[in-house]
Amino acid sequence: MKINAGNLKKGDFIFYQNDIWQVQKAEFYAPGKGSALMKTKIWNLKTGKNIDITFKSNEEVEAVEVESRLMVFLYKDNENLYFMDEKTFNQYNVPIASVFGLEKYLKEGEKLYVYIFNELPLSVRPPLSVRLKVVKAEEGIKGDTVSSAKKPVTLETGVVIMAPLFIKEGDIIIVNPETGEYTGREGK
Amino acid sequence: MKIITQYKNLENHRNYIFILSLIEDFLKKRGYQKIDLPVLSPALIPESYLEIFETEFRYFDKKEKLYLIPSPELFLKRLLVKGVGNCYYLGKCFRNSDLPSSLHSFEFTMLEFYKLGFSYMDIADELLLMLREINKKLKIEKSKIKTKTKKIKPIKTEEKNLKINLDKWEKISVAQAFEKYADIYEEELFNYKFFFEKAKKKGYKVDKFSYEEIWSQIYVQEIEPNLGKNGYPTLIYDYPKEFAALAQLNSDGKTAQRFEFYINGIELGDCYTELIDWKEQEKRFFKEDKERRRIGRINHPIDKGFIEALKCGLPICSGIAIGVERLAIVFLGLESIDQLKVIDICL
Repeated sequence: MKINAGNLKKGDFIFYQNDIWQVQKAEFYAPGKGSALMKTKIWNLKTGKNIDITFKSNEEVEAVEVESRLMVFLYKDNENLYFMDEKTFNQYNVPIASVFGLEKYLKEGEKLYVYIFNELPLSVRPPLSVRLKVVKAEEGIKGDTVSSAKKPVTLETGVVIMAPLFIKEGDIIIVNPETGEYTGREGK
Repeated sequence: MKIITQYKNLENHRNYIFILSLIEDFLKKRGYQKIDLPVLSPALIPESYLEIFETEFRYFDKKEKLYLIPSPELFLKRLLVKGVGNCYYLGKCFRNSDLPSSLHSFEFTMLEFYKLGFSYMDIADELLLMLREINKKLKIEKSKIKTKTKKIKPIKTEEKNLKINLDKWEKISVAQAFEKYADIYEEELFNYKFFFEKAKKKGYKVDKFSYEEIWSQIYVQEIEPNLGKNGYPTLIYDYPKEFAALAQLNSDGKTAQRFEFYINGIELGDCYTELIDWKEQEKRFFKEDKERRRIGRINHPIDKGFIEALKCGLPICSGIAIGVERLAIVFLGLESIDQLKVIDICL
């Protein structure tokens, strides 16, 4: 499928020089002379190589048409996230670099959509929110009544995020895994 | 779109405001007249490479179209014709369709100053003095803060200081830069046929694209990342005549007296020896207007009064436009112009 480079965004997959690359950064750029451009940073899923490529914003690029399949997250190591297709029991490993930090918010056993192309797992569709238990939270600073004040809390996956002062150990909180922002607390 | 209060940026913002005052002090000391200008105009200079904002003034049952200025040039040159002398505008300008990025905002603060009797290279000297002055005063301010008591909240500047030496420019012509960084020789750069062949060989898509489009792509991909990175700010000059805009052409007929300057790969300003020939200017207006229509830009009336003003005689002069937020992030060691904003309008 051909798309204009001007529409590229972070996370997209494209064919470039006969390989599959994922867009890590896409910035629209109008240099004040000549035409508008799309400055991208892309990485090669096979070699892990990063390159900076500037496209004309109206230049066609070949987008990879990916299929998304619901799978169970099993575990991770330093390089990959391992998933299993519950229908076929086939196991797939997704390179950690392709999920942009999402791995920090994933619990084993969670069901997620994995992007697949020709049986090759490319990346994971980030869920809108994840529910995670707070395993460590300091007591709110005494006398501090500023409602916008935040403190660091540690979640069950080990990640530390900023949450409101009233959050306690044992609370289940809702987090946007793409930004790492606290968005709410689950009612008891 | 949303309004976001970015109170955490207040300290960066204060530093930015301080830089604005340093710029104004410098220009005032050197006799430039500050001019405040409208930001809405019923007509504009046609420029095909930028999109504009359109609005209207309504009164009784009438409507008048107005456009937010993408640059103060149309007003300042009228005043130069009348004899205002060296002058500057420091204020908002607006460019539509530029998606917000770390270096772009559709509404931004521009410094534009003009000096009579100057060529573009004379402006380069003046500009370097200004950059040194900003750098010097910022350092003094920082050292003052260190000696103050902790009670006063200090202006905190990031530790990443400007690692560039402002003693001189690294000057490179566009032709030299294409040869040095992109292996494209002068004969190829200024000859469409050779240029297209070379670009294709290098792996760029050339079919159905214009010289300007391919040139821009190579410039951004291969040239720009190297500019302002050799320890000095880079001044890259003499752009192909296709990018002359409102600049005077050189006697070679191929290039225009235009320079841009860069620090750390970031384009900060754009300078021309101003075109004073009204006939040539009118010709470029029609060409740009035609191009605007071809690529489907917002249609706006051409500022004919500008041509009329030029007919009265624009004195020999040069002018430069500088993106002040970009300049500030370079001096403050920040990554994005967003870090200067306390109120941000974003998608």
